[in-house]
Amino acid sequence: MLSRLHAIADSVGRFVAAAWVDTRTGAVLVKHVVHDEAFVAPALDAATEVMRSPERPPRMVLLSTRHVHIIQRLTRDPHRVLVVICERSPNLGLACALVRAQAEAEDAC
Amino acid sequence: MLATAQPVALDAYHALESVPSNACGALVRRRPDGTMAGALLVEHGRVCWAMSQRYKLRLTDILVDEQDSLTHEELDAVFEVCRRDHLPLGETLVARGMVSLPVLHRALLRHTCEALDCLLRSEPLPWAWVAHSGYGYHPMLTFSAAEVLAGVRAIANPPLAARAMARLRDVVRDDQSGFAVERAGATKIPLAQIRCERVDLEALADLAMQATEVMAVAATVGIDVALAELEGLACASWVEADVVFVLLCDGELAFNRLLAQVAAMAFNH
Repeated sequence: MLSRLHAIADSVGRFVAAAWVDTRTGAVLVKHVVHDEAFVAPALDAATEVMRSPERPPRMVLLSTRHVHIIQRLTRDPHRVLVVICERSPNLGLACALVRAQAEAEDAC
Repeated sequence: MLATAQPVALDAYHALESVPSNACGALVRRRPDGTMAGALLVEHGRVCWAMSQRYKLRLTDILVDEQDSLTHEELDAVFEVCRRDHLPLGETLVARGMVSLPVLHRALLRHTCEALDCLLRSEPLPWAWVAHSGYGYHPMLTFSAAEVLAGVRAIANPPLAARAMARLRDVVRDDQSGFAVERAGATKIPLAQIRCERVDLEALADLAMQATEVMAVAATVGIDVALAELEGLACASWVEADVVFVLLCDGELAFNRLLAQVAAMAFNH
């Protein structure tokens, strides 16, 4: 799981942090933080809370003024969610596609 | 989910929800003495008229209010001709060039929503469905459940509804739909909507509830807008002052298109 986070950090521009979280317990299973900003921990908590309900769709993107939070739920384990935080850039679509690809690769394992 | 919604709007929601899909007929409210308090006329699942014995405005009153060039005398004369010859009033007015279709649509919607609101407030009676073959109304002169519901909801707070509609008009593109609900309170009945005809009421309420829940959490970490990828649909939601907005986009690359759109938007918190 950590290797996937490193792969995301290498491919997604303006990367800040990424983590696998368990939405049942709220636990951060593993994380990789490049810029240890004060908002990362509460942002992971918020993403976990947003995805806690099984009614939420498998993919969500949250935008703040400066950052984008990309959240992708695994298909084979819907309680496990990938959260990636990066600074906003002109190509948010590419960042979303890269995150989805890593989640799909994790699903295929 | 809607249990504590504003009573009149909630009553309207339940009434519209009870209309059989694609049906033609009327939802009728009768008093215990058998007299009719009012009715909601439906054609192919769409609302074409509402009437309440206690609602005093006539369609002609509203038309004069909507269009300065019309007079009661002119309209009454056409009304008499239509009554005599069994012609539809609205279509006749349009055919004679006296009103445009958009003005007539607006006037009919206003009459329908205000009459329904009056009926729900003044006479809390059970509804009974009476099926019939239909009236042959022009589709432009019938209304979706979402349109009527938003119209009834707006009566409770016209300035808020107007502000919500203005914002929707700013952001909803021609190939999109959108709606707004009040953030505070439990009512998740649309305050304003654009092109939500194909979204059924239950789905609309569910989207509204999901959007409100997500934004309540997201706002704690400074999130402006949340996007979700649903089946065949992309959805963006955000909050401005007291209102939760939901923007819906479908078709090819809907999620990416919506993401690009909202990323460029400024939000008025």
